Amino acid sequence: MKALIVDDSAVMRKVLIGALARAQITDIDQAADGQEAIEMVQGTAYDLVLMDWNMPRKLGIDAVREIRALGKTMPIIMVTTEAEKGRVVEALKAGANNYVIKPFQPQTIIKKIEDTLARAQSAE
Amino acid sequence: MADVRVEHINPFIKSTRETFITMLGCEAHRGDVAVSRGKPEDPRQILAMVGLSGRMRGMVSITFPERTALRVVERLLGMEADAVDETVYDAISEMANIIAGGAKAELSGAQEKPLELSLPTVVHGAGYEVEFPSGAVWVEIPFESELGGFTVRVTFAGN
Repeated sequence: MKALIVDDSAVMRKVLIGALARAQITDIDQAADGQEAIEMVQGTAYDLVLMDWNMPRKLGIDAVREIRALGKTMPIIMVTTEAEKGRVVEALKAGANNYVIKPFQPQTIIKKIEDTLARAQSAE
Repeated sequence: MADVRVEHINPFIKSTRETFITMLGCEAHRGDVAVSRGKPEDPRQILAMVGLSGRMRGMVSITFPERTALRVVERLLGMEADAVDETVYDAISEMANIIAGGAKAELSGAQEKPLELSLPTVVHGAGYEVEFPSGAVWVEIPFESELGGFTVRVTFAGN
């Protein structure tokens, strides 16, 4: 299981690494913006992507669209401060599989990760 | 002078409390809300600002004394923090981002187009002053927590 965390905050990436470790996911790469994420998914096969929304260079929502346009089907979970229902709908339409609103408790994001991976596995 | 409404301020108070309890596991207790004087009392502070734009235009800043900032980082990452560095700036800007995001959702309400957040900006040092644009009123909300005190300031431009 290989995961990619995309967030411009190194501190938030560390928090998410801790959450992933609790879900037994320790093989983790990191990207600081949407553009870097797009470049990384083209060179590495990830089983899960955690994607922030507001980042410099390229927004997470645009990165999700571009990753899907590349034909990549790995589960993508948005992890963002964008809490409006319209944003959630926009992300799901863009190709995100799940959505976590910051602030979050570790158990909340772990549950979302496990649910998302289980759904992806059953769909295969 | 810009109009400052309670319904514009309360979402920031609520979001600050939620962010502290959820991310840091500690209660943030609000003090008396006042119009800001704009000058930090403690010369060693770290300030993070996030802009809001769209149907409403405004700015939220969160100011931590260094000691509070270090304890926030320790709680957030579960590691010792004894010097103000990039990690501390990053943590404080992310806290401001999350607080602004929570408030933004409530301020956006059922509007089709949500408000937009800017990327956070961090200021650190002694003796800086925040200059207020003419006519802008900043509302200052002091908080106390087991990690130390901090201040949230909010302003909205008249539209």
